[in-house]
Amino acid sequence: MKLLVVDDSNMVRSRIARVVQSGTLGEVTLLGLARNGEEALRAARTAAPDVVTMDLTMPEMDGLECIPVLLAMHPRTRILVISALDDKSTAIRALRLGAHGFLPKPFTDDGLQLALKGLFEHHL
Amino acid sequence: MSALKESDLRLFVDSVRRYFDVTSRIEPEITSAYLGVDAMPGHDFNGIVSFSGRYRGQVVVSLPAAALKELLLIQKETDLSQSSLLDAVGEIANTLAGNARRTLGKDLEISVPKVVHGKPSGGTRTRQHPYVITFRWNRYPGVVCVDLAEAA
Repeated sequence: MKLLVVDDSNMVRSRIARVVQSGTLGEVTLLGLARNGEEALRAARTAAPDVVTMDLTMPEMDGLECIPVLLAMHPRTRILVISALDDKSTAIRALRLGAHGFLPKPFTDDGLQLALKGLFEHHL
Repeated sequence: MSALKESDLRLFVDSVRRYFDVTSRIEPEITSAYLGVDAMPGHDFNGIVSFSGRYRGQVVVSLPAAALKELLLIQKETDLSQSSLLDAVGEIANTLAGNARRTLGKDLEISVPKVVHGKPSGGTRTRQHPYVITFRWNRYPGVVCVDLAEAA
């Protein structure tokens, strides 16, 4: 399973990377750590991610702009939005754009594992 | 331009509690919440998120280096450099501001966080008396300053 992490916070990117590399989610290859939508699209051009964790509020290109472009490149990629914008309308908008899950910030490691596990299983 | 209601401000108190409780399993103690009159209290690391749309102004999260290092260590982060501490305080401000939209409405636009090392200069206030929340988390003090007003 190839995972791409997209978030403008280094603290969040590192934490997600540590959780997926702890081994509890099975074999996961970290495809890259991107700081915004543009970096995510650059990383996705070199290899198709199976799953992407996507922040929404980011500089240069935000998550809501990035999701449809990324899915046009790789329709089978599954996207988990991880955002502090946890109001219902934002979650619905992200899901309508093609995201497959929504995890509000702040989140626990257990919550992240559970959300990712669901996406990984659906991808098999 | 009208002020935030007390119930609206309550959401920031709840967000501070929730943020630290969820990320560290250590709930902060809210030590005071008041309308600021003079210079805002603050610490060396500051995350600032600007609001536009239905409300305008900013929310500032201010923490000392020791608190941020402790928070990063709890999350097993080994990079405790100044840029990492600034990133952390920016992410806390981003989370508190983002969570506010659930209560203050989807028409609220939130900027990416700006981070500042050093005591905040004060700058221009949106409200004459911003709302100040002080708290203590894991022995360390912290401040959240909510300087928001409903747009005319």
